[in-house]
Amino acid sequence: MDLQSGYYEDSDTLLLALRQRDPAAFAYLFEQYSDKTYRLAASLLKDEVAAEGVVQDTFLRLIERLDQFEGRANLGTWLYRIAYNLSVDRLRKRKPELELEDEPGDGRLPLPVHLVEWQQWPEKLLSDGEVTRALDEAIAALPEKFRIVFVLREVEGLSTQETAEITNLSLSATKVRLHRARLFLREQLTQSLLAIGAE
Amino acid sequence: MKCEELLQYLSDYIDQELDDALTTEAQEHLATCHNCRVVLDSTQQTIFLFREQGKRSIPAQSRSRLFDQLQDAFLTSKTS
Ligand SMILES: [Zn+2]
Repeated sequence: MDLQSGYYEDSDTLLLALRQRDPAAFAYLFEQYSDKTYRLAASLLKDEVAAEGVVQDTFLRLIERLDQFEGRANLGTWLYRIAYNLSVDRLRKRKPELELEDEPGDGRLPLPVHLVEWQQWPEKLLSDGEVTRALDEAIAALPEKFRIVFVLREVEGLSTQETAEITNLSLSATKVRLHRARLFLREQLTQSLLAIGAE
Repeated sequence: MKCEELLQYLSDYIDQELDDALTTEAQEHLATCHNCRVVLDSTQQTIFLFREQGKRSIPAQSRSRLFDQLQDAFLTSKTS
């Protein structure tokens, strides 16, 4: 199976095998992308069950369109795009006022409010349940259009280019959103850490 | 460089996407400005924390159920 996994790393080989309905190719694809698409959906929807639904629909759509896929785009980017679009559809049903476009003022940066050095090195913080909760709360408070860019870039480790392709944004809008997301989260976390430390 | 500019360039600085001249200016500012250094450090720590803890997976039970179901759909779908 190790040899096989290396074998499918080539996107054309994988696509061909999928078209021939090779079970090992499907297992490889699922192994590679189920958690990734799950994290994308969960971060937008903040709902684990709904996120599982998105993973299911994403793979079903891929299966349905396997023979039409042109193979120009990367298979992974394609899956992420499907998952992104399906998540946004679900989100809009729940939240019709959802705003994903750029708005005037998005480029303006709020000045940092909390200027306190973090007392403990983050690695130590990770084991602290309160801090884990603070991270969850901070990212949940971030508006969706910034949250998705942050998750794709930082958590999934995608490039600015890939993130822009998945979300249909320009490169510069992607960068601006990442920047705002980072500063927002920094502010939120500093505030939470201060509160935790004060207890 | 002023604090406002440093703040504006902060992400590019972290991602090492500033040109040499701006990188030097940013470094000079950071060497003398405590507040901006705190913002830089805590932003980097913020990124680190999310990278470390953001890696979640589908709960195991749902995962194997999803896999079985999708593999069935895959194998019974039409071949070209
Ligand atoms: Zn400064």
